[in-house]
Amino acid sequence: MAATATLWNKQMRKFLANPEEMFGLLIQPILWVVLFGVGMKSMLSADMPGSGEPYVTFMLPGIVVLSALGGAIGGGSVWLTERLRGIVKEYLVAPIPRLSILMGNALSTMTKSMFQAIIILFVGLILGAKLSPNPLGWLGGLVLVAGFGLGFSGIALSIASQTDNPGAYHAMIMVFNLPLLFLSNALYPLATMPTWMRIGSLLNPTTYTIDGLRQMMFRDPAALAGSDPLPLWLCWGVVLAFAALGMWLAYTTFRKSIK
Amino acid sequence: MNEGLDNGPAIEARGLVKRYGDQVVAVDGVDLSIPANRIYGLLGPNGAGKTTTISILTTLLEPTAGEAKVLGLDVVKQAGDVRQRVGVTFQEMVLDDELTGRQVLDYHGRLYRMGKTERQAKTEELLALVELEEAAERKAKTYSGGMKRRLELARALMTTPEVLFLDEPTLGLDPQTRARIWDYLRALKEESGMTLLLTTHYMDEAEELADTVGIIDRGKLVAEGTPQALIEEMGADTIHVIGEGDREAFVENVSALPFVQAVDVGRTVIQVGVDLGSKRLVEIIAQATDSAFTIQDITVAKPSLGDVFLKYTGRRLRDTDSTQTHHRMLLMS
Repeated sequence: MAATATLWNKQMRKFLANPEEMFGLLIQPILWVVLFGVGMKSMLSADMPGSGEPYVTFMLPGIVVLSALGGAIGGGSVWLTERLRGIVKEYLVAPIPRLSILMGNALSTMTKSMFQAIIILFVGLILGAKLSPNPLGWLGGLVLVAGFGLGFSGIALSIASQTDNPGAYHAMIMVFNLPLLFLSNALYPLATMPTWMRIGSLLNPTTYTIDGLRQMMFRDPAALAGSDPLPLWLCWGVVLAFAALGMWLAYTTFRKSIK
Repeated sequence: MNEGLDNGPAIEARGLVKRYGDQVVAVDGVDLSIPANRIYGLLGPNGAGKTTTISILTTLLEPTAGEAKVLGLDVVKQAGDVRQRVGVTFQEMVLDDELTGRQVLDYHGRLYRMGKTERQAKTEELLALVELEEAAERKAKTYSGGMKRRLELARALMTTPEVLFLDEPTLGLDPQTRARIWDYLRALKEESGMTLLLTTHYMDEAEELADTVGIIDRGKLVAEGTPQALIEEMGADTIHVIGEGDREAFVENVSALPFVQAVDVGRTVIQVGVDLGSKRLVEIIAQATDSAFTIQDITVAKPSLGDVFLKYTGRRLRDTDSTQTHHRMLLMS
C-alpha cells in the first residue's frame, strides 16, 4: 500500500513537471468532443432517433472511455520504457510487493483519466449536454470509469511486460483497443446495430461501462441509450470483474517475465 | 547484526546454477564465501556469469539449483529481508532521469519506508559524500555520466545497507571519476564496516579495490585469492611468447628449465614465469631454436592480474568492448 502510494506519487510528480504531457492530455479530449461531437451532431440532424437529447450527450461517455483507453495505453508505454531502461529493477530489489509496482502505475494512469473525464464533462456541458442533477451519480460514474481504466491498464501492462519492442507494443495494444472502443455502444446505440455487432458489444466491458455512465451521470438515461438500459448491478459487476481480471493478467505475466 | 551472524560470512553461495532453457548455462556451480567487511571483486569477461551471480544474490533472479545466503538470509525464501538490508547498483544506468537528484534519493528512501526526517538527513549526507549538492535540484538527465554514477551510488547507500552489490561500478567512466568512486568505496568499507561485492572486467579496478578477487569464466569460479597471492603464483617475472612451429616441444623444453616457475599455454600466447626475466630471455629463445619453434614476438613484464586472468581463462580482458556491454545490458532487462 505504502509502495503503491510512493510510486503513484512519483508518476504524478513527473506528470506535473512535464507541461507537454499535461497540455496533450488536457487538449486531446477537448478536441474529440468538439471536432468529433460537433461533426457527428450536424450529420445526425441534431437529435438522435427516438431521443430528445442531442448527440453530444450521447457520445460524451464514449469520449470519456476513449480517453481512459488512451491513458492506459500511455501507462503501458511508461511501463515498457521503465522496463527497457532497467528502472523496474530498482523496484524489484526494494522490499515491496510486486503487485504494488503495477498498481502504482495503473493508479496514476487512472488519476489522469479522472482529470480528463472531468474536463470532457465540462466541455460537454458548454456544448449543451445534459448532466444528471445528482452529484452522487457523477461520483459513481467516475469510479466506474476508474474501474474500467484499471482493467485496460492491466491488459496494457501485461502486453508491455511481454515485449521489448515499443513498435510491437503499440501494434498489439491496438488489437485490443479498437474492438473495445468500436464494438460497443460508445459511439452508436445498441438498438441500431446489426445483430452480430450487438452480440459482440454485449461481450465487451466497454458497453457496460458506458451504459452505467449514461444511467448515473446523465439525465433521462433510458432514452439516451437508444434502447433499454442494462441493469446497473450488471454494469458494476462486469466492470469490477474486468478490473480484477486485467490486474491479475498483468501480475501473472509480469511474474513470468522476471523469472 | 541479528540471527547469530556475527561470525558467519556476509555472503555465501553453494553450487549456484542458473540455466535458461536446456541450452544456456549462465552460472554453473559457483561457490562463494565472503567474510563481513571485505571488498570482493568478481572478475571476468563479458558473459562469464558475473551479472547473473549478482542478480541471484540480490534476489532479482532465482537460482535453478544451489543456494545462496546474504547476511545469513536465504535469497529465495527470505528475499524480502535480504532486500531490506542490501544496496545495489546495476551495470547499466538505472535512473529515472526526469527526477532531480534529490527526488531520486527521496523516492528511494520512501520505497524502503524511511521516515521523512531520516530521509532528509540521509539525502543531505549522501549528496555531500558524492559531491552532488550543487546539482541536487537539477533533473538527472542533465547530469554527466560520472554524476549519474555517483547519484546511483548515493541511492544504493540511502538505506544504510550492510552489504553493497556493485555491478561494473565504473563502466565507461573517465579515469578521474573512476579514481573518485574507488575512494568512496574504500572509505565505505573502512568507516561503516560494509561488505562490498563488485563485478568488474577492469584489472586495475580489481587490483586497486578488492581484498579478494574471484575470477569467473563460463559460469565457473576458476581462481580465487588476494590479488597479490594470485600474481605471485605467476612467478617473479613473466615472459610472453608468441610464435609458430612445434609449440608442444617448446613448452616441454621450457618447462624443464630449472628457473622456470610456471608455464601457461593460451590460444596464442605462451606465458612463462621466471625468476628474472631479462636474464632468462636468451635461454628461452635458445629453447625455441632447439624445438623448431619460430618466435614472432617476445616480451618481458612484471606479472599483473591480467596475466593471472589470461592464465585461467585463456583470454585477454581487453578484447572485450565496454560500450558494447553497456548496450547489450540495456536491452536485456
